[in-house]
Amino acid sequence: MEPAMSEKPESYEAAVERLEQIIDRLDSGQAGLRETLDLCREGRELVTYCSAELDAVGEGLKELKLEDLAARLESPSS
Amino acid sequence: MEELPGPFPVGRYARKLQEELRRRARVRLVGEVTGLSRSKVQAYFELRDAEGAVPCAIWLDDLEKAGLPEGGLRDGAEVVIGGGPDYYPGGGQASPSFAFRATQVRLAGEGDLLARLEALRKQLRAEGLFELQKQLARPRLPETIGVVTAESGAARRDLLAGLRRRGWAGTVIWAFVPVQDRRAAPAIAGAIQDLAATPAVEAIVVTRGGGSLADLWAFCDETLCRTVAMLRVPVISAVGHERDSTLIDDVAAVACSTPTHAAEAAVPLDCNAARGALARSAAALRRASTVARSMAPARLGRLDRSASAALDRRRTSLRHVDMALRAHEPERTLERGYALAEDTEGEPVTGAAEALAAGRVRLRFADGRVGARIEQDGTRDE
Repeated sequence: MEPAMSEKPESYEAAVERLEQIIDRLDSGQAGLRETLDLCREGRELVTYCSAELDAVGEGLKELKLEDLAARLESPSS
Repeated sequence: MEELPGPFPVGRYARKLQEELRRRARVRLVGEVTGLSRSKVQAYFELRDAEGAVPCAIWLDDLEKAGLPEGGLRDGAEVVIGGGPDYYPGGGQASPSFAFRATQVRLAGEGDLLARLEALRKQLRAEGLFELQKQLARPRLPETIGVVTAESGAARRDLLAGLRRRGWAGTVIWAFVPVQDRRAAPAIAGAIQDLAATPAVEAIVVTRGGGSLADLWAFCDETLCRTVAMLRVPVISAVGHERDSTLIDDVAAVACSTPTHAAEAAVPLDCNAARGALARSAAALRRASTVARSMAPARLGRLDRSASAALDRRRTSLRHVDMALRAHEPERTLERGYALAEDTEGEPVTGAAEALAAGRVRLRFADGRVGARIEQDGTRDE
């Protein structure tokens, strides 16, 4: 059976919380083989999501001026 | 048209007006000085707050007696004046004018401003305006924040440094505004509204450095504070120093003591720490995954070994069954001299009635088979 496609996490916080649950479960040593592999797959997806979120605020601080934005909005053709 | 009294000579009316105005009660007014100018004998200015203004005049003699510090009466100064309304009727050539004739003037003290602040604070709290912003959800990791501050100043630099220290490098949209005097409050309110209307902006920081309450007075402006309270984007205020308490601090989602703290409130997630934690999580997952995958063949091996052990056990017991079965095979009996009757299909015939019914049988001996016919006259054991 095809594993269900994981949904996009609600937020960074939600993703981190679920990730912590997964790691706790894995650390408990109580997960069976099938569950372990499923948790690892879900965990990797969450890590990818969180990395992307952090990357979005990690590529160099951008500074814009409100007056420039407003000017751009007022003359969309330019 | 209704018939009104008069007509009266206008000069007489003007002097009457002057008398009436001069009879009004003398009072004290508080507000900000704007448009200050001087003639040889008088100083003129407007005393203004957000709701209105009154033109004022003071004789330079009275101004000198007030003993203000050098340059104390200047545009932007918050002052308390005492006096009453006056009207100059003009003359044949001179223009008439109205002014509040001040005979006393002093700089507004903390006490005057604190009393106004307290009254405003009470009113806004009673209207529930302190709670609205605090109920808004604040994103832990915003990608874009808006900042309202002065273009030059330590607040801007400190906020940027705070954001960088957090490892946050998203987008900052600056709205540079005057942060002191009468122009400040409307400019700040406008900038906040424009930022809130920008869809990408997830939080707004309003910040300026320390100063006297008079310097920070724009941040106690009623219209500005009502604007902030009603906004759907969280506002983080960091105005003045720790001991300063402005009205915007009360209505904002979060009030911070310094721009550095405001950076932490605007981006609650410490991105540097988060990157470290995420790397550790990724490593833990890789370990778990590797262990699980290496366990899998081992478990299969164990399964394999246990399966073959089970098979061995079955093989052994099968041999025993085999031997037991073989012990009961008819051949062993035939070897001892017995014969087995079989029908034409080779099925054993195990009774006299069955033999009679079959008519013909075959007798199987240890050394071969012979045909036999069944006759009725035999005796049957009952």
